[in-house]
Amino acid sequence: MSDFIDMSGPSGSHIYDGGYRKYTGERLGQSAAVWSVWRQTVQRVMGLRRPARSKVLPFLSVIIAYLPAAVFVGLVALLPKRINQSVLPAYHEYYGFITAAIVLFVVFTGPEALCPDRRSRVLSLYLAAPLTRATYLLAKAMAVACVLTLVTLGPPLLLLVGRALQGEGPQGPLGFLSVFARIAGAGLMMAVFYTAVSLAVSSLTDRRAFAAGGTLLAVIGTSIVAGILVGALQLSSGWFLLNLNVPPLELVARIYGMPGQLSAQPTWLVAASVAGWSVAGFALAWWRYQRLRVTR
Amino acid sequence: MPDVVRGDRLTKRWGATTALADATFAIGTGVTGLVGANGAGKTTLLGMVLGLHRPDGGTIEVLGQDPVTFGPRVRARVGYAPEHDALPPDMTAHDVVRHLAEVHGLPRRAATERASDVLFEVGLGEERFRQVGTFSTGQRQRVKLAQAIAHDPDLVLLDEPTNGLDPVQREEMLHLIRKVGHGLGMNVVLSSHLLEEVERVSDAVVILDGGRVVASGRMAELRGTDSGELVVQVDGASIDAGPALVERLRDDGVAAVARGERVVVALEGPAVYDIVRDALADLDIGLRRMEQRVSSLEDVFMAAGDDE
Repeated sequence: MSDFIDMSGPSGSHIYDGGYRKYTGERLGQSAAVWSVWRQTVQRVMGLRRPARSKVLPFLSVIIAYLPAAVFVGLVALLPKRINQSVLPAYHEYYGFITAAIVLFVVFTGPEALCPDRRSRVLSLYLAAPLTRATYLLAKAMAVACVLTLVTLGPPLLLLVGRALQGEGPQGPLGFLSVFARIAGAGLMMAVFYTAVSLAVSSLTDRRAFAAGGTLLAVIGTSIVAGILVGALQLSSGWFLLNLNVPPLELVARIYGMPGQLSAQPTWLVAASVAGWSVAGFALAWWRYQRLRVTR
Repeated sequence: MPDVVRGDRLTKRWGATTALADATFAIGTGVTGLVGANGAGKTTLLGMVLGLHRPDGGTIEVLGQDPVTFGPRVRARVGYAPEHDALPPDMTAHDVVRHLAEVHGLPRRAATERASDVLFEVGLGEERFRQVGTFSTGQRQRVKLAQAIAHDPDLVLLDEPTNGLDPVQREEMLHLIRKVGHGLGMNVVLSSHLLEEVERVSDAVVILDGGRVVASGRMAELRGTDSGELVVQVDGASIDAGPALVERLRDDGVAAVARGERVVVALEGPAVYDIVRDALADLDIGLRRMEQRVSSLEDVFMAAGDDE
């Protein structure tokens, strides 16, 4: 658009023409639009390029999630190996320490990613661009999942690397890769699961506070319902899989080859409940966005 | 030059309400006004141009392509500024325009450059790093216009762009729209219920009434010169000149009415010119100007409504 005409001669002067010009350069396709929305959403959720107060919650959650891992790595360095092994949690047990941080992160990421676009009606500008409702949601889902991996994938990875660097990690390269793959699988699975939950709730309202409250209510409410079904009504422990906190944590244990807390339930059922909740969450968000009317 | 937008028997219903009914029209190059009262179907038509609504009947073609089938491809070449406020209040104007230019397919560096230049173009150069939430209504309308043209589209859709503006801001916005359409070489569809502003900036017009296209075409053709009236502007030295001329013309059997220094005469044939000339000469009234009255867009709109 702007022309810079190099007239640097003996005088070293330049002419800068800032007027409007036709754009004749490269035009990228729909994937670039998705990528741009992804990047903008990640920045928004993390409070980047926004006032300082917007950064408090995301960075607090990340610090809470990484703090135990940092402490455990420190303990590895300070304590003798025999004490370490009795004090340090197994990789799959680490999530028990950071459940609050994950829930906190989930509660505000989805609402922050989806609600403002509808509230300020920017969605109408996005859908007037080379995006469809499906590709818009895809970009949002990828952004939320990516941000969530900060707390579902990063801390166990820090623990693995910290222990390995001090000679306390898995035995040999194969052992390292095996644990790494399990950490990656478990972290990604949890990120996708909670992305589906938070997007589903956030698609129901354009107010961030209501969406955050709704997400929290869904997590707590399902745990109460599952508790009543199994505790008071004496139904099978499989009904615990209705509790939004249970299926991902149970599947994490199975990924590490551990029985978990619902040892009576087969792994396929646990995996199916994770898949079912995820598909239901994404389907609800998709259905809501297909029905949204942005212009009339 | 092919039509920019072409609709053929286009129909769209929202439940029991028919927003567009058998709308057939062609929008060519330049600035085209889309005129109609609130609820006439203007916004629905813009949504269909963007491929956001599937027609219930008929076909639509935008820049030579079907927007329903090739929505993303069409929308990459179209800019859109909606009627309602649609800007994130906690982002800077520059970030908004750059991001939406990127979403329309511009590489990041080009989007950054053009965001600055376009914001300068609409008069927000100094304010471009301020958050949109701190802007006045007029400034937000300019940001909406800037994001619509930042990616250098072939077609710009502006939905009621002067809504909420005071007379000075409205004047400036109309100037900008004229500049976009005629100076920057983009085709513009300006949707508005204000006939006067459409008339001032548009080369052509599509008039909607109750979802139907009641008139469309180039402005000059629609207005024509066949209003059937002759406007005679007399010398204002005497305040009685107008009424005196009217009285004399009536005596000669020609209908006329005085409006200040002007007398509007029914033009029932070429002989009327001679009758007016003779009357002026007899009454010793100076003539400043005499011409056939050109229809305003309002006349066209009213006539089209009467025809329906």
